[in-house]
Amino acid sequence: MKTHYDVGIAGYGVYLPLYRLPTTEIARVWKGGGAGPNKEKAVASIDEDSSTMAVEAARRAMDMAEVSRLGAIFVGTESKPYAVKPTSTIVAQALGQHFVLASDMEFACKAATEAIQVIRGLVGSGMIQNGLAIGVDTAQGRPGDDLEFTTGSGAAAYVLSRSSPETLATVEAGVSYVTDTGDFWRRQNEKYPRHLSRFTGEPAYFHHVETSVKQLFEAYGLKASDFTYAVFHQPNPRFPVEVAHRLGFKAEQIKTGLLNPMIGNTYSASSPMGLAAVLDEAKPGDRVMIASFGSGAGSDAFALRVTDAIEKKRKKAVKVADLISKNTKIDYATYAKFRGKFTK
Amino acid sequence: MSISYWRLKDRYYRLIGVSCEDCKSEFFPPVHVCRRCGSRKLVDRDMPRTGKIVTYTELRETLAGFEDQEPMLLCIVQLENGVKVLGQIVDTTVENLSIGDKVKAVFRKIQEHGSSGQIFYGYKFVKA
Ligand SMILES: [Zn+2]
Repeated sequence: MKTHYDVGIAGYGVYLPLYRLPTTEIARVWKGGGAGPNKEKAVASIDEDSSTMAVEAARRAMDMAEVSRLGAIFVGTESKPYAVKPTSTIVAQALGQHFVLASDMEFACKAATEAIQVIRGLVGSGMIQNGLAIGVDTAQGRPGDDLEFTTGSGAAAYVLSRSSPETLATVEAGVSYVTDTGDFWRRQNEKYPRHLSRFTGEPAYFHHVETSVKQLFEAYGLKASDFTYAVFHQPNPRFPVEVAHRLGFKAEQIKTGLLNPMIGNTYSASSPMGLAAVLDEAKPGDRVMIASFGSGAGSDAFALRVTDAIEKKRKKAVKVADLISKNTKIDYATYAKFRGKFTK
Repeated sequence: MSISYWRLKDRYYRLIGVSCEDCKSEFFPPVHVCRRCGSRKLVDRDMPRTGKIVTYTELRETLAGFEDQEPMLLCIVQLENGVKVLGQIVDTTVENLSIGDKVKAVFRKIQEHGSSGQIFYGYKFVKA
């Protein structure tokens, strides 16, 4: 998928809540000891939800982008505070942006890259000047479920604009791939999602991510070694490492964007936050590949090229590494209170 | 919090106050008449989002509807333009607060009406 006009990133912003739950705490309560695959997960506080984290990430992205008007705001999330009532209008109000197309995108963990694709189209066609795509989740895991180890909270936001000397990376290409796959779902009115655990690997994550990345390579004549960095969706620490290996990427290409071991799976924000960690350190001319995965299922893959503007722009960045290292540990009881796991 | 809240969203969401066009004084919450010079020429103004703690207190018992957030920390913050604002301070404990600490405004849930009612958002402060 190419656009009429070149589209680039004018600003990005990440939000991580302060609190971390060590997975040893989850294992202590539910498994009699041990730890999860990731060391800790980021936990939203009692007064945070997808709207508040989306606003915080969006404000940071807008600060960096320095654009006054947005033509579209799309929030990709599967943890909407309201089943009916958009999160995107709350973000629009908080940013003082009212003449915008605002909508919530839903596609499990790939809702944000979906938002990026759509905004790319709107900017790339000349219909709007700037658009904001946000990935945010207060990932829900049923207490005691294996998912609970990895389900983290966080947000990442991107302002996309027509490519100019002010855009810090150009989106060179993007592809999308979907099939009807029943790996993970949440029915209307259910609090927690369900999954077929043995089904989440090969037929879901690996099949879709490998197919979208191979399609990106084939359609645009690219190969793994063309990229300085690669970022994959991170449902756990193992899948992105394995899929990178299968696609011919080396460990050093994925190291910077691999955040799951420290914060868990931030769902919609997962691969976009990995991309932000890469942009925090990338050099002009570097090529970056990002591939998301959303259950249900599908994957969006993009090729980006970092521009000279990165050095100036990221002076305004609140660095992902700093957000990860500034944290307060909590125990399982505090986590249960914060995330409403007690039923009163 | 009900109808009046929805009308005042920009005040709660964005810290929008007013600035006097005659004497340049700034006010939050907004006023209709300048408290310094009496002028009625007041325009909306984004308040600075950073400031410092003037005073603070810990509430172990709060109003109905805020029990889940106990113990609640309240503070008066002097924003960078000198305007003083009352608000909650979160992501910290009373032991970690001192007068003069630098803070910044964040967007948080203020209150929600159970699991089926509306959610009310607004500014709170965190240590900068
Ligand atoms: Zn005046």
